[in-house]
Amino acid sequence: MIEYINKIKEISERLLKEGIVDIIIGFRKGTMPMMNEPCFAKSPEDIKNLVWDSNCGINLANYLTNYSADRKEKIGIIAKGCDSRNIVNHIIENKIKRDQLFIIGVPCKGMVDRRKIVSIFEREIKEVTEEKNKIIVKSDGFEKILKKAEVLQENCAICIHRNPVVYDELVADLVEEQKDVDRYEDVRRIEAMPVEKKYKLFDDLLSACIRCYACRNACPLCYCPTCFVDESRPQWVGKSINPVDIRTFHFLRAFHCAGRCTDCGACESACPMDIKVRTFTKKLEKDCFELYGWEAGMSLDERPPLDTYKFDYPD
Amino acid sequence: MSDWEPKIVTFLCNWCSYGAADLAGISRMQYPPNIRVIRIPCTGRMSPKFILTAFRQGADGVWVSGCHPGDCHYIEGNYYARRKFALFKRFAEHMGIEPDRLHFSWISSAEGTRFAEVANEVVRAVKKTGPASGYLKAA
Amino acid sequence: MNLGYTMKVVRIDKKNWVGDIENLSRSYRLFGPVKDDNFHRFEELDKDKLPDLDYFNTRLSPKSIVYPQSETMFEYCLDERKKDHHVMKEASKDYSQRAVIGIRPCDAAAFLLVKRNFDTPECKDPYWVKAYEATTFVGLACNNPHSACFCTTAGCGPFHEDGLDILLIDAGNHYFAKIITSKGENLLKAAGWDTKVDAGKEIESMKQNAETGITSFIATNKLKDKITADLFDAPFWEDMAFACINCGTCTYACPTCWCFDIQDEVHGCSGTRMRNWDSCMYPLFTLHGSGYNPRNTGMQRVRQRFMHKLKYYVDKYDNGIQCVGCGRCVSLCPVNIDIRKICNTMNSYEK
Repeated sequence: MIEYINKIKEISERLLKEGIVDIIIGFRKGTMPMMNEPCFAKSPEDIKNLVWDSNCGINLANYLTNYSADRKEKIGIIAKGCDSRNIVNHIIENKIKRDQLFIIGVPCKGMVDRRKIVSIFEREIKEVTEEKNKIIVKSDGFEKILKKAEVLQENCAICIHRNPVVYDELVADLVEEQKDVDRYEDVRRIEAMPVEKKYKLFDDLLSACIRCYACRNACPLCYCPTCFVDESRPQWVGKSINPVDIRTFHFLRAFHCAGRCTDCGACESACPMDIKVRTFTKKLEKDCFELYGWEAGMSLDERPPLDTYKFDYPD
Repeated sequence: MSDWEPKIVTFLCNWCSYGAADLAGISRMQYPPNIRVIRIPCTGRMSPKFILTAFRQGADGVWVSGCHPGDCHYIEGNYYARRKFALFKRFAEHMGIEPDRLHFSWISSAEGTRFAEVANEVVRAVKKTGPASGYLKAA
Repeated sequence: MNLGYTMKVVRIDKKNWVGDIENLSRSYRLFGPVKDDNFHRFEELDKDKLPDLDYFNTRLSPKSIVYPQSETMFEYCLDERKKDHHVMKEASKDYSQRAVIGIRPCDAAAFLLVKRNFDTPECKDPYWVKAYEATTFVGLACNNPHSACFCTTAGCGPFHEDGLDILLIDAGNHYFAKIITSKGENLLKAAGWDTKVDAGKEIESMKQNAETGITSFIATNKLKDKITADLFDAPFWEDMAFACINCGTCTYACPTCWCFDIQDEVHGCSGTRMRNWDSCMYPLFTLHGSGYNPRNTGMQRVRQRFMHKLKYYVDKYDNGIQCVGCGRCVSLCPVNIDIRKICNTMNSYEK
């Protein structure tokens, strides 16, 4: 994917120069291995700093709403498959207008899971580079080459919409979509458990939660001016690290994403405690698909499942 | 456990099921006293927050009842509610709330008998499942 | 508290370590690093459980040993039939002697920074002070710092002693224990460590070696002379804060962040008043009762966090920055906001 960057820079430069957009939202190189920092570019100087590689897992669609209250300028945004689906979400939820955006589409080959890579090595990783399908990990005195396919983020490994859904210009030819992917193997495994076991599973899963809200804040779907956890009259959920409060928070956060989640994995990649928060949202995603044949963010012309109904749907 | 009685928080649509409960009462029909009624303007007003709050405060079951499809006072509120509830129920099961604790029904204001019947059914189902503790915020 | 005389060093044979910890557990509640999947965390050690000192550092700081994320302050009863109803009663807590084994010098030094807030002549936070005073800190020097560690330029260091009562130095088959305070002396007796050695030179060379292992630096020398308003209005904040998603990861992981929020929780007739960590990253942190929020945007909140750590604190206490260089916020931040970069930008900013 690193080969995309020249094209990204070229398009970005042209867009800014021709005044088609006022700002480009993309990534710049981070200060830690396997980390990139979302950034904006307004000048040719900024464009030089843009990067694109397998560490761009943060969903940039998030940056369209967090600050967009007064963001009236034309925005150029770099979007991989999931980002573009979240842009579609924003458009159909009237958060932003399609014509305010210039979408630079990136056919994605998956992002790497830095936790997975860190866990392979005993020692501290000092530098990580990539070449085609290889990830090269370096530390003091050792170097190891990993196959990218083996260290993909879990959501990327089962992704079936790698190509952007909406875009104004592509940085490369569309990639072949993965076929015959079993997206819900893990959900089915949980579904088969008795209720007590499910309860226990989530208890263990959430035991590390520190309620930093990184999962919520990394999610492009979470843009409410006041989140339910911050509401005080009535107060829906306590503020402590009481397990019931933590569970309530995750339950409601996930349900709020019902029919909207694109499984971009930003929540999971943001979690500082490595909690597999997608375990919640994936169940909803599966149900929306099974009940309503719905995949979020695939079309600008369809309403999301909880915003529409059919008369004859059996209850 | 034999003398344990479940608490069931019941959200009734103002325009139909609430009237049905009234009718059942006026008609002196028998149904268990385990249900605590909260009147809502429409089942479309139901938020998942209400349901979880009920469980957090000690409910053992939640029952939501509204107008028959096509009869919504607000034309379509119950259609939205139907979808929301279907998804909610599945998700709640995923998150450790037994399906027998959650009930959804359509009861018009003329159906006092049906109200009493469903109330009986709901109480029976929740009773069978036992006390809920998973989302109870203890003192 | 510092003993003031030439520091005593004892040698602890690793062969006897298990027995020594057992000795300690008789008179102290012990806390130490424990491995948990890919990370370590501090927890209270059950009997027979050893601190895992073969570690780099814990994912979250050990501040919660003294200052838990959620802490009950008072309990009360609203049932008028009961005695003492509507009376706030202090929650009972265990302030018996405890010891943290294997805390890193940066984290121990952080307690001293936090102390400036919780323990002042005018105002003492009873919970924090009692817990802190009950704690003996047994540090573990960092022989192999990581690349995100920048302690040496944050007023700290891999063999830093301030805030510690004992400093352990891993020297292969044995530890050297440098006794720093009288609290440390007491713990030494309880553990039965009494093999005095003269290892000053050896420790000094290990220390220098470790310090050269620190490869990341910040510049803080000019922060004090900057005009607050200049930094506050500086144009770089928009760029620096853009990526921030305003989660609380940095503040919760930080050993020096001390903010909390007080909440009452009432269930039926019984209530508790508790305090929970709060974070300046959240909009609710500054939301007024009127609905007005003086720090309504993410950028304002990011600016507050760094201005507090790197300017307001510096000016108020005249004792360095409010950061010990542990590097947790740098490595845990989901979007790679880096305090080193921001600090250097602030330090070199000219209007």
